[in-house]
Amino acid sequence: MPAPLLQLSQATIRFGGLTAVNAVDFTVNAGELCGLIGPNGAGKTTVFNLITGVYQPTDGAITFAGTPVAGLRVNDIVGLGIARTFQNIRLFGSLSVFDNVRVACNRHRATGPFQTMVRGAAFRADEAAIARRAEELLDIFNLRRFRDAPAKSLPYGEQRRLEIVRCLATKPKLLLLDEPAAGMNPTEKVELVRLIQQVQKQFDLSILLVEHSMKVVMGVCQRIAVLDYGVKIAEGTPAEIQRDKKVIEAYLGEDHQTALSHH
Amino acid sequence: MPRPHLYLLVTLAIAFGLSRISDRIDPYHLDVLIGVGINVILAVSLNLVNGYTGQFSLGHAGFMSVGAYLTAAVTVFLGPRLLGEDGGTAFYQGAIFLGALIAGGCGAALAGLAVGIPSLRLKGDYLALVTLGFGEIIRVIFQNFEPLGGALGLNGIPAYTTIFWVLAFVGLAVFVVTSLINSTYGRGFLATHDDEIASEAVGLNTTRYKIVAFVIGAFFAGTAGGLYGHFKMTITPTGFDFTKSIEIVVMVILGGMGNTLGVILAAILLTLLPEVLRPVAEYRMIIYSLMLIILMLARPQGLFNFKLGRAKS
Amino acid sequence: MVYGVLRFINFAHSEVFMVGAFIGYYLGKLVPEGTLWGGLLVLTGAMIGCAILGILVERIVYRPLRGGPTINVLITAIGVSLLLQYTGQLVFGAAPRTFPPIFPAANFHLGPLTISSNQLFVIGVAVALMIGLQLIVFKTKIGTAMRAVSLNPKAAQLVGVNNNVVISFTFGLGSALAAAGGILYALNYPSIDPLMGVMPGLKAFVAAVLGGIGNIPGAALGGLILGTVETFIGGSQFSTYKDAIAFAILIMILLFKPAGLLGKFTTEKV
Repeated sequence: MPAPLLQLSQATIRFGGLTAVNAVDFTVNAGELCGLIGPNGAGKTTVFNLITGVYQPTDGAITFAGTPVAGLRVNDIVGLGIARTFQNIRLFGSLSVFDNVRVACNRHRATGPFQTMVRGAAFRADEAAIARRAEELLDIFNLRRFRDAPAKSLPYGEQRRLEIVRCLATKPKLLLLDEPAAGMNPTEKVELVRLIQQVQKQFDLSILLVEHSMKVVMGVCQRIAVLDYGVKIAEGTPAEIQRDKKVIEAYLGEDHQTALSHH
Repeated sequence: MPRPHLYLLVTLAIAFGLSRISDRIDPYHLDVLIGVGINVILAVSLNLVNGYTGQFSLGHAGFMSVGAYLTAAVTVFLGPRLLGEDGGTAFYQGAIFLGALIAGGCGAALAGLAVGIPSLRLKGDYLALVTLGFGEIIRVIFQNFEPLGGALGLNGIPAYTTIFWVLAFVGLAVFVVTSLINSTYGRGFLATHDDEIASEAVGLNTTRYKIVAFVIGAFFAGTAGGLYGHFKMTITPTGFDFTKSIEIVVMVILGGMGNTLGVILAAILLTLLPEVLRPVAEYRMIIYSLMLIILMLARPQGLFNFKLGRAKS
Repeated sequence: MVYGVLRFINFAHSEVFMVGAFIGYYLGKLVPEGTLWGGLLVLTGAMIGCAILGILVERIVYRPLRGGPTINVLITAIGVSLLLQYTGQLVFGAAPRTFPPIFPAANFHLGPLTISSNQLFVIGVAVALMIGLQLIVFKTKIGTAMRAVSLNPKAAQLVGVNNNVVISFTFGLGSALAAAGGILYALNYPSIDPLMGVMPGLKAFVAAVLGGIGNIPGAALGGLILGTVETFIGGSQFSTYKDAIAFAILIMILLFKPAGLLGKFTTEKV
């Protein structure tokens, strides 16, 4: 059994008196598509922030491809191969769509700032390769026609797709998607499911998804973990999760049957 | 040939050409032109820090003073020893001047490093206050440093600054800033400004970008200071105070933060304005500050900003 | 305090300080010298005058820019500051004038120390105003409204707070305090001129940031520390470095505690 790509062992974080994530064990294996669900405030985005280095764990360990993540800078963790989207889209609003993707290619530049000034042949080849790559990525997601538009002028759905494209530009091995279906109508959600599956195959990725939309989660994830008040209360296949008593109870307060099957 | 290189060569050619016919130009106009050039260097270099990278620095004059004093120290104290009794040939003098300018710039760059690193964690107003503080500390240090004149300033600086040197450094400053910004690497500065958290999330080292901006900005402010010192032939610590930093900041804002061409135009305008307002000199600062207020209320994205969506929100 | 509510450094505050001192100067001429009631009248007059000035500046210049990028307001504040400085120079002339002794002067001897009544006044009035301010901010309705607006302006509006009134009030209050500061300063350093506010204003910000901005006891603590250190430096061999010390302290503190001594960092939600 090959080593897991991402491993959380007893990952914990406390903010003053509040334990936002409590001794969570979770793994994502290479090539898997996993989901992380739970009621609002369960700590899902906090887990993302722990994995990506925005927060440092108070206890426990997080390793990625064998390397412990604790103490590393956020941008260095990106260098390890993790990319994430944000709950509230964080695009570079004043940059063009093209530049948003291009700037994410910086970690894989072949030339340095000095060569940028000299603008020799090596630099020009580097820039051409980056431009080609950015255009290809935009093309796959049908965003090429918006190439020069300022990113903030894009319609909402396109902005969400652009954020994903930007992630792919960093050549990740693991993609963390934070509520990618937020604000989408049912048709868009179907399209999103298709997109996620396509992205996974095409770029040979592992994906961890945080989502509220059960339709998306059940439709696309192979394995799901459920958080409630920072604690993992269940883990299993979509079918197992839907039947789990603890999970149903956690979602109580909404119409629980519909909450789990109709979102 | 890449475009920035072309512009640099053209600027150097113009600089050379102008210097050849400089004795046929009215010395008053030449002086004004030199003053304009120095301000352009200051504004363009500050624009990298404030405009593009979004670090609100109010201490740019401090870097200018470091460069001014260091350059002058080289030419005043070291120069005579290197040039010998007869003062050396014009070429040799020019070489010394260039060396001194680069030394001044590097000294200022070091100061930029010293200011930039502690400022990294600070945002907006705090950063403004700290950079202002650094500028004031530098001023006080020079005020107390007797070997370089102390509070009375340094006199007897050789008049090495010519239109050639000023325009050459204008070209260099614009070249460095634009060639850096218009590249994949350079987009990182803008991204750092837009959203630091997102920048880190796509693998950018925002700390390094901020420091690089400070250091490059400080380097050119230092060379501008060196050029200034060898133009006025005398420098005092109070000439590089908070008010001077504000003047440069106004140029950057007027030009539209993050818009090199706009900033150049603004620097030209704001250098010529006091000359034009000379008849009403006592109202000059009042008009200046009124202009600032009206500008912010009416057109905060700058006078010369014609691009869409440049105003930051 | 203004920063806490409005979230921007009002560079023009130092000029309100200066205007307060000048109003005091002119009012002081109308009132017999050296009387307690005369002095208090001048103080009150200056505070009211500057409160009006502060409210006017807020209405005309800062309010239209509310909601935009803070850097714009910062620049505008700098503009107002410069405008007041140079208009002051034009109207009052740049030459310094002597501030009249509006309060009865006496010297008290405490062993080897000599304390002037003016110095006692500074301490007395400062403490009184501090207590008054704390009472207003924590014990009155409008004080609570101020705190609400400083924490979350939108939510404050939703619960019925009239943000405009609160902000105007804050500015008025802050300006009145600046005026008091101007008068107290002028009592002890009787030479006043239109540019007198610049350094004290900067140091006031340093003190506020030192203590943790938006935090009134913190600002007082910062002011106390700064004043003490400056006075000691002023009496030592490094006296010419006095101005730089304020900033050096600021930078040191911010290096280790980016939110100031008593301040709290509001972390951005990712």
